[in-house]
Amino acid sequence: MSMPSFALVRPRAVDEALEHLARHGAEAMLVAGGTDVVPNLRAGLFSPRVVVDLKGLGDLSGITFDRERGLEIGALATLTAVAESQLVRQHYPVLAQAAGTVASPVLRNMGTLGGNLCLETRCRWYNQSYFWRQSCGFCLKKDGTVCHVAPGGKRCWAVWSGDTAGALLALDAEIEIAGPAGRRRLSLTDFYKNDGVDRIHLGRGEILTRILVPATMAGYRGTYHKLRIRNSIDYPLAGVALVVKVEDGVCRDARLGLVAVNPAPVLVREVESLLVGQRFTPELTEAVVQAVVRTGKPLTTSMSTPEYRREMLRVFSRRALRELWRENGSH
Amino acid sequence: MAQFSVVGQRLPMVDAREKVTGAGVYTDDLVLPGMLVGRILHSPHPHARIHSIDATKAAALPGIVAVITGKDFPNRYGILPIGHDETALAVEKARYVGDNVAAVAAVSDQAAVQALDLIEVDYELLPAFFDPNETMKAESNWIHDDKPHNIEKEYHHHFGNVEEGFAQADAIREDHFFCPGVTHVAMEPHSTLAHVEDNGRLIVWSSTQVPYYLQRTLSNVLGLPMDRVRVIKPLVGGGFGGKSEVIPLEVIAACLARAAGRPVKITYTRDEVFYAHRGRPVQVIDLKMGVRRDGKITAVEARIVQDGGAYCGYGPVTLLYSGALLGAMYDIRNMKFDGYRVLTNRPACGAMRGHGTVNTRFAFESQLDMLAHAVGIDPVEIREVNLLKPPCITVNQLRVTSYGYPECLRQVKAKSGWKEKKGKLPFGKGVGVAGSHYVSGAANAIVRSGTPHTTIDIKANPDGTVTIFTGASEIGQGSDTMQVQLVAEELCLHPRRVKLVAADTDRTPVDLGSYSSRVTFMAGNACLQAARNLKSTIFSVVARRWNVSPDQLEMRDERVVLCDDSGWSMSFEEAAKCAIDHLGEVVATGSYSPPQEAQGGKFRGAGVGPSPAYSYSAQVAEVTVDTETGQVTVDRITVAHDCGRALNLMAVEGQVQGSVWMGLGQAVQEEMIWSQGLLMNPSMLEYKSASTLESPEIDTIIVESVDPEGPLGAKEAGEGSLAAIIPAVANAIYDAVGVRLTSTPFTPEKILKALREQQKKVAQRNGGSER
Amino acid sequence: MNKESIQLHVNGVRHEIEIPPSKTLLEALREDLRLTGTKCGCDDSSCGCCTVLVDGVPMLSCVMLAASYPDASITTIEGVAQGEQLDPLQEGFCVEGGAQCGFCTPGIILTAKALLDRNPKPTREEIAQAISGNLCRCTGYTQIYASIEYAIKKLRTTPVAAASGGR
Repeated sequence: MSMPSFALVRPRAVDEALEHLARHGAEAMLVAGGTDVVPNLRAGLFSPRVVVDLKGLGDLSGITFDRERGLEIGALATLTAVAESQLVRQHYPVLAQAAGTVASPVLRNMGTLGGNLCLETRCRWYNQSYFWRQSCGFCLKKDGTVCHVAPGGKRCWAVWSGDTAGALLALDAEIEIAGPAGRRRLSLTDFYKNDGVDRIHLGRGEILTRILVPATMAGYRGTYHKLRIRNSIDYPLAGVALVVKVEDGVCRDARLGLVAVNPAPVLVREVESLLVGQRFTPELTEAVVQAVVRTGKPLTTSMSTPEYRREMLRVFSRRALRELWRENGSH
Repeated sequence: MAQFSVVGQRLPMVDAREKVTGAGVYTDDLVLPGMLVGRILHSPHPHARIHSIDATKAAALPGIVAVITGKDFPNRYGILPIGHDETALAVEKARYVGDNVAAVAAVSDQAAVQALDLIEVDYELLPAFFDPNETMKAESNWIHDDKPHNIEKEYHHHFGNVEEGFAQADAIREDHFFCPGVTHVAMEPHSTLAHVEDNGRLIVWSSTQVPYYLQRTLSNVLGLPMDRVRVIKPLVGGGFGGKSEVIPLEVIAACLARAAGRPVKITYTRDEVFYAHRGRPVQVIDLKMGVRRDGKITAVEARIVQDGGAYCGYGPVTLLYSGALLGAMYDIRNMKFDGYRVLTNRPACGAMRGHGTVNTRFAFESQLDMLAHAVGIDPVEIREVNLLKPPCITVNQLRVTSYGYPECLRQVKAKSGWKEKKGKLPFGKGVGVAGSHYVSGAANAIVRSGTPHTTIDIKANPDGTVTIFTGASEIGQGSDTMQVQLVAEELCLHPRRVKLVAADTDRTPVDLGSYSSRVTFMAGNACLQAARNLKSTIFSVVARRWNVSPDQLEMRDERVVLCDDSGWSMSFEEAAKCAIDHLGEVVATGSYSPPQEAQGGKFRGAGVGPSPAYSYSAQVAEVTVDTETGQVTVDRITVAHDCGRALNLMAVEGQVQGSVWMGLGQAVQEEMIWSQGLLMNPSMLEYKSASTLESPEIDTIIVESVDPEGPLGAKEAGEGSLAAIIPAVANAIYDAVGVRLTSTPFTPEKILKALREQQKKVAQRNGGSER
Repeated sequence: MNKESIQLHVNGVRHEIEIPPSKTLLEALREDLRLTGTKCGCDDSSCGCCTVLVDGVPMLSCVMLAASYPDASITTIEGVAQGEQLDPLQEGFCVEGGAQCGFCTPGIILTAKALLDRNPKPTREEIAQAISGNLCRCTGYTQIYASIEYAIKKLRTTPVAAASGGR
């Protein structure tokens, strides 16, 4: 099945890419690995006149680590590169783990970390062919007026379905965005809007260029639990990323990110206050679980039911805490 | 086995090289000069009357060569003579989301897609039916006017006396089972290239399992005599039944080619493959079974409702298989079957690997497990108690000539460590056993006639090679290789001397197609017969030359040898040349028709189920259930399959493993998910065909019962092992955690729910006993 | 539709073709270069049938815009054999039954080739991980493992063949 026609530009530098964006405005669309954008173009979800291919921006694929400055990853680093990077695995294992669960090996060879952070939100009423969407009268997110997930509402609940954002939120990451006015830095928590349609704070003329993880988070224990039906290929149906710093069985720091249950990846902020200074107890675990399910609000956006996804948030949170703290924390 | 030289080996498939180099040609790889792209406009409504179609704007678009609608080609067709309810494109009504309404041929895909958007269809929406039980209650707006209450067909069979049988039972269970639809998802999306030659002759290349039926259908729809239609089957990228009846694009491409006067190719997008469907129907099964204390089954009664979708397709056959094979692998004297094939406003169902037998086998083998536990008999043993004693005729008049099932059970029991594991593994781990079986071809053809089911020609060439001309359809299952091996074996030739021309209706004799696992048995027997006839033709010439009797001659190691102490022999090449010189051309024919005794009973519906021979399978699944997530992991599968004789051990193992694996998909993760008439998962992403990471090792044992009528004893290998894995996993889950799943797939959510209910019951029971 | 002249470097041969920039590499390979060994099995980059090697790395040609890869060295299934001599992987898929219908075969062979180029002695678990983005509907994967393991064994016993790996 062929795609709608568009022009393709292949800038060699960020400034050149920004020029294209400035020139074409709303008619331009960025593509990096293409694993998200191209199938969406084919399904008629977007019809840009100009596609700006970022693959030529070679200086944006590096991965560096510095004890002072922390981890810096170019937005074009592939998910395979992130998952296999010794630096990432050693200092920020949760990120390597999350990146290593994205889709399938062959898709990780193409998909980029920046792309994964800018993923289009997903919904079973949206990620369908043009014909299919026409058959259901389209939806609020694209070409229609009704949300089939929450009929009567005016809000789109398409779900954030990237894996790495949860880990990076937990790691307190920042991102660098290049735009007409230069480069700015933003905490990843401020990047997401929790809106299925307008998902991220990335202006029309902007490009996400770098992902930065603070040095202070290096060495944190971390784990990512992902719900999916197939252990490869699939997007997450729910995901819990947890990082903790434990000393002598006492939690010194803890952060927990959720993906695939809300229109944005979210940090469960209560977790930090619940756990810091505490020793592991089952009661504390249940308090975290409660906080998680208060934050994660799965709806009927995917093939798995909201009830089951919510239940898995509970199981995954419990397991993550046990894994990182109870079993390993005491020695 | 010493008695054979070619048969029984792990011979590479004859078409393997072209498949591993990319040189092999599938339909979508073909290009003809001037070829156009065909695209189909599908109905967005599940049930709608079509008042008018205005295609003028579409036709006026640059690059559009032809636009056609239902009125242009109104002849009805369908795979069954009793079910001609389809037309190339919808004539009056659209009956499912995805039904075919109009089609265009264009110079480019973009132009075609654009044109579809410009076709204006005036629909009147009609009430639609989606529930198999509800649809039967419909009083009006029937999906087909001539099918009152949306019942396509119903059958009621009663053998023996179930009332008496149940009266003798010590334990009786009645359970309700539900299976949602599953579909084939062959990796190759359907594709058809059609071309009307200058002389008006239609030539069609298509991804089909049934070139001969496609030829018949095209002749009917286009009003051409059979000899004006030529169907060629290139390589087919998997079928599993999804290409075993005529699929809409095949007819539409031919119609477009005629309308456009240029070659037209249609290749389905992946979602169109899902709308074309013809897969396993939604099935609602109410099953009742009684056993005596010793495990002997006294009676079985089933009510089966199949949601067949909007068109007949293979429907009645699917339903009849469900009834006919329900109890036929065991010795059961009292059996009752009430079956309903109903119509709903969803894509038509059809034949899928294990056709008709799979869901009922799941129900039966699950219930047998429950009854084994009820009377305190080991699940393997309860199966052994109920074995047939062949040769025999089952209560529903199926003739069983060879029966490796006891051996299959014995072997999987030993190899899986059943004795050490059953009931003895820690909570969360368990084993389950089940059996299944399948026909080696249907004893009765779809279109009844005196024509043999398969005819094979073999021609001797002057270079000492022979060429098989066969209508049989290689779809990846290895049928070309099987035929080459049998002919090589019979002629004592190296397989490289055996060439094959297949599945081209102009050049090859009739074979009914690759469905119901018929090819090994039928084309195999025809190949042997043809090879014997060829040998005898060549021998008669050589015998005359040597002035000996032909029956003194035999083939040994690529030579014709005189069986005395003369030491006379002649290379096959020389002998073939000699025969060709003498006769001009040396061609021998063989054919196969199932024997009268195999054709079953005389009651209504008795035509489906009879087969010249049946394959058998026994399986043990070992699972781990995560009681927090409900996730079941199948750790190990042991399968033993009775294929009569393994003509090619590698191919047989591949077929058995592929069957088990596909059944496992239905068991744990595959299903078609619907919202009314909308298929929610028409994609490879959302229809969960397993990746390597959910696919366990399948320990495969081949049992050879050597069927008296099979080619060198062979029976089918590609379907009989599919069904058993589903109940084997269900039974293993029960062994692991004590919960019983009665609907597929066994999703984590269902298992978790069952575990919670069980905990609740235990809590209640404990609470009660304390009081 | 606007066409542009683009370069592709496929199986060691440089091609210049006129295509619209929206054309995928898969379409360009199949339609313009007539290299039809690369297959299209789905429309949402989920099946792996269209896998090709890009500078030795397996990627899905159905999500690659052909015009985006003028500098890359692309290997398709047609470029795997050395003339008449099959690659050990191709031989393995013949001998061990890894190719039934053959439609997923090119993609899996290429993915496996990239794996063996990096790791000549993968475990079965590593093989399963590596090809987990390539779906097969025929085999249940068991004979695919056997086919790849045949190649591993052959490459180990014939060092000359091993040297022909890489890109």
